[in-house]
Amino acid sequence: MTTSEAVRSRGNAAGATGPRSPRGGAGQARLKSRPADRIFFGLSLGSAVLIVVILAAVATFLIVQSIPAITADWKTSPELSTGPTAGYSSFWSYVAPLIWGTVWVSAIALVIGAPIAIGIALFISHYAPRRLAGVLGYLIDLLAAVPSIVFGLWGIIVIRPLLLPLTDWLNQNLGWIPIFAGKPSTTGSTILAGGVVLAVMILPIISSISREIFLQTPRLHEEAALALGATKWEMIKLAVFPYARSGVVSATLLGLGRALGETMAIALIISPSIGFSLRILTEGQNAQTIAANIALNFQVADALQRKALIGTGLVLFVISLAVNIVARFIVSRTGKSGGPRRRVQLAPPEAASLFVANDPALSPVRGTSDKAEGASA
Amino acid sequence: MNSLTAGRLPRFVEFYVLAGSLVVVGGAFMLLGFNLGGWIFLSVVLYLIVLAALSTLAENRRKAVDRIVRSVVTIAFLLAMAPLVSTLFTVAAKGIAQLNWGFISQTGGAVFNPQTLKVTITAGAWQAIVGTLEITGIATLMSVPVGILTSIYLVEYAKPKQWMARTVTFLVDVMTGIPSIVAGLFAFSLFTLIVGPKAFSGFSASVALSVLMIPIVVRSCEEMLRLVPHDLREASFALGVSRFSTIIKIVLPTAIAGIVTGVMLAIARVIGETAPIFMAASFTDNFNVNPFFGPMQTLPVLAYTGIKFPGQDIAASIASAWGAALLLVILVVLLNIIARIVAKVFAPKGAR
Amino acid sequence: MLARRGHHPEGNTVKFKHVATAGAVALAAAIALTSCASTPSATPGASNNATSAATPLDTTLTGTITAGGSSAQANAQTAWSTAFHTQVAGTTINYDKSQGSGGGVTNWLAGSYDFAGSDAALTAAQQTSSQANCGAGGALDLPAYLSGVAIIYNLPGVTGLKLSSATLAKIFTLQVKTWNDPAIAADNPGASLPSTAITVVTRSDGSGTTANFTTYLHDVQPSIFTQAAGTAWPVAGTSGQQGGSGVVNTVTAGAGTIGYADHSSIGTATAADIQVGTAKTFVTYSAKGATNAFAAAATTTPSTKGDLTQVLDYSKITNKDSYPIPLLSYQILCTTFKDPAQAKVTKAYLGYIGSEIGQAIAAKNAGSAPLPAAILADVQKSLALVK
Repeated sequence: MTTSEAVRSRGNAAGATGPRSPRGGAGQARLKSRPADRIFFGLSLGSAVLIVVILAAVATFLIVQSIPAITADWKTSPELSTGPTAGYSSFWSYVAPLIWGTVWVSAIALVIGAPIAIGIALFISHYAPRRLAGVLGYLIDLLAAVPSIVFGLWGIIVIRPLLLPLTDWLNQNLGWIPIFAGKPSTTGSTILAGGVVLAVMILPIISSISREIFLQTPRLHEEAALALGATKWEMIKLAVFPYARSGVVSATLLGLGRALGETMAIALIISPSIGFSLRILTEGQNAQTIAANIALNFQVADALQRKALIGTGLVLFVISLAVNIVARFIVSRTGKSGGPRRRVQLAPPEAASLFVANDPALSPVRGTSDKAEGASA
Repeated sequence: MNSLTAGRLPRFVEFYVLAGSLVVVGGAFMLLGFNLGGWIFLSVVLYLIVLAALSTLAENRRKAVDRIVRSVVTIAFLLAMAPLVSTLFTVAAKGIAQLNWGFISQTGGAVFNPQTLKVTITAGAWQAIVGTLEITGIATLMSVPVGILTSIYLVEYAKPKQWMARTVTFLVDVMTGIPSIVAGLFAFSLFTLIVGPKAFSGFSASVALSVLMIPIVVRSCEEMLRLVPHDLREASFALGVSRFSTIIKIVLPTAIAGIVTGVMLAIARVIGETAPIFMAASFTDNFNVNPFFGPMQTLPVLAYTGIKFPGQDIAASIASAWGAALLLVILVVLLNIIARIVAKVFAPKGAR
Repeated sequence: MLARRGHHPEGNTVKFKHVATAGAVALAAAIALTSCASTPSATPGASNNATSAATPLDTTLTGTITAGGSSAQANAQTAWSTAFHTQVAGTTINYDKSQGSGGGVTNWLAGSYDFAGSDAALTAAQQTSSQANCGAGGALDLPAYLSGVAIIYNLPGVTGLKLSSATLAKIFTLQVKTWNDPAIAADNPGASLPSTAITVVTRSDGSGTTANFTTYLHDVQPSIFTQAAGTAWPVAGTSGQQGGSGVVNTVTAGAGTIGYADHSSIGTATAADIQVGTAKTFVTYSAKGATNAFAAAATTTPSTKGDLTQVLDYSKITNKDSYPIPLLSYQILCTTFKDPAQAKVTKAYLGYIGSEIGQAIAAKNAGSAPLPAAILADVQKSLALVK
């Protein structure tokens, strides 16, 4: 057994006996306290405090910047009644349709992306030939590293024309459904195209995390199900999904977080108008997202209009915060059995993709060693 | 036929059914007018129906569902491969024409001919490469120590459920949700307070990227440190080694591979950011190597401006934008490869 | 021009060379430039004369100019800064085109920029707040870049499209929905127009081009284009695209599409002829046409001493040698700089832009229209006030 394997199996053992055991806790053992120790502790604590300070500074910055625009009278202010913010009675009437658009586009991306992402995760964890699984996982994670500007350009030249026939077909045949109604786009800059590109961008996030969680399913549960004569799918339904449900939900919410904040791809693809619209095949009647609206209008905005846009950024920040809290809540409510698994479920996409890119032997979450080798070979 | 294989479809039935579906639908489409998307979509639908029917008849409903799910999952995977391949192919196809040694190694700029008044634009990405490497490099130098030290605090020092640790963990989650343009504005405003109104510099862009990078580094390092088995630490403490030495000599080397990989992937994530860079570092065509003074050019901004504000020769601008995008993707892929190699090299080897 | 000739004897030289070389040099004819600005380019060595004719360039100047704003000026700024840097090697000019006009003015008001490029002059409120950085003299809006808003379309089988201002307003308010609409047919007698649906492509981002175009539509056809003019496109239901390049690409890639963009950025897209005045007179865009339109319609309405804010009265553009939708962009700077050295180098650069040679460089390399000589003389006079 190599050290790294030992590390893994012992890590699991530790995790099984006491989920918290890796946390040292200063009081656990009385150790010699040397100057280097104290300095190092100071540095570590200082870094942690620094993060709190940075976040507080960013939040303060957002609030201080946006307050003048939020409290201003939008009807009479000479600045806010012109340019990108013209025609709104208050900050809230400006931001409300943007919140709707942000949520709507993200929801479409989730509806398209999440099932596919979970399918990919399942394929890599339970269906793919073992030799291929690691490589395939790495390829999917590579999608996470492609800059969003590239996705935007790709959306314009590939996805937009590709979806045009589908757009026409859906509109002609299913136009009675409100979301497919309206005059179909002839250029392709629809919410649907934006949603598809966003779906591609959130795929790797949801699938990396889900995959790790699927791989954690206790081998015994799986074997028990199979031994009772279950087919593979029944085994997955019986053993894998119940175990992974909360983790997959929080993975999806993290994907949602990414979708909410995406700027450039949406700004390049969607033809927006700020308003409440369900339609996904039209142009000019599309909903608009907060992040894309900032990117599109920041350049012509004057000082107070910029503050208004920063105010919408604050709202986005709060939405992201809410998504994070919800994710946390779901995990803490249903993840009690998981123990060490908790940490993984909430890991950001980058951390999750790490598990595959990394030497698998160091990966935290393999259920048993043969499982780990299966996924990594 | 023995009892074990009775009531089972032949081994490669999926392939036969798929091939059959493709041919049948393809034939129908040949008569009605060909459409690639429609062909694939309808073939898949037909394939699923036929497979379900066959399996239900020859086997049973449970097996049929199993086969359907297997097929759907495989299709989901192939569906996800399509955009990846398509994205990379598009960038490569559009960028490859522009990508030559001259484009990489020469400073982009313009030459003025006073005789004809003609300004000739020379495409070049060297200053953007230098800018990207400097800005991302400095951001890395700032984020990595802070990120690693914070994760050491969370894993090695903080008591479980301690309010400080919980707060920091929560705030790190929150930080991952900061929109990137906000990070850029924040950094620029911060530097306006410190150095006065002309605050544009590569360094302030680095600060913006750090705000985006730190949470990623903390999260990945924290995961890696938690993997280090507690037995190793306890063995070290039992030998009377101080906590500091234990962390430096035992914990970090054990986790180094994962940490390095995590850092590399964090870099890959921020290196393509556009909005925070043009907020904080502004934009310039000039070659500026000093990250602490004046605007700097970067690859993502070069790609963005090339598309959004093309020059008089629109085709040339767009070509160099794709060239920059391809360079960026190559850089990210290189970093990923380096990360994997580093992870291999530093991973603890052999039993002791 | 007259005033300048009084100050600078070289003015006569320019005039002489104009006579001597006009027609003799094919190059001069090839570059469709107005007035004598084209001549120096034709004769080796003449450019130096012309440069000094406007403002003697102090080639020993050193310094870094940080500026940004209007992306309409982006290509012209690249050309100007390269040309300026070539002659005054000690200077570096950073013009951030990614900021846009609003960002340029905001950053300039905050003191981050030495000057801002903007498609709109300062508002009264901005002029007031500029006094914080600029002193009591406030700020100057100096016209620097002139082009035209081109109406581009892509309709297979149709070229040489003519559009009256009323039809244009109806198309862009989505009242005319197909290409064979009687309104379009009336403007294009004899043309075979398909029944293709019209896809109107506009800017999804705020833009000075949109501001210029909507101002034109609202001024010329107030009963049809009832929406207020502004940087954001006001009519819902169009295909909004990011950036002028987004509009141009979408129009070119689609069929039955029509859009608007700064003429200098339309590339190979086809532009329609636009009605000038109230008669059925249609004009193709030309740099000369934009210059003439500006000369006819613009009135200087200073907000402070030396300020050259222009107000365009579109109803005055009636002559068929004028293009009806000019697009103007300004440079905005303080009357009093905090650092006199910075004032000197910024003045030199803006003086170069506001010279005939500067305008010729922009015309040649960015496809802009040269500003009329009279306004350039005013720019030089205003720059002289800057300390």
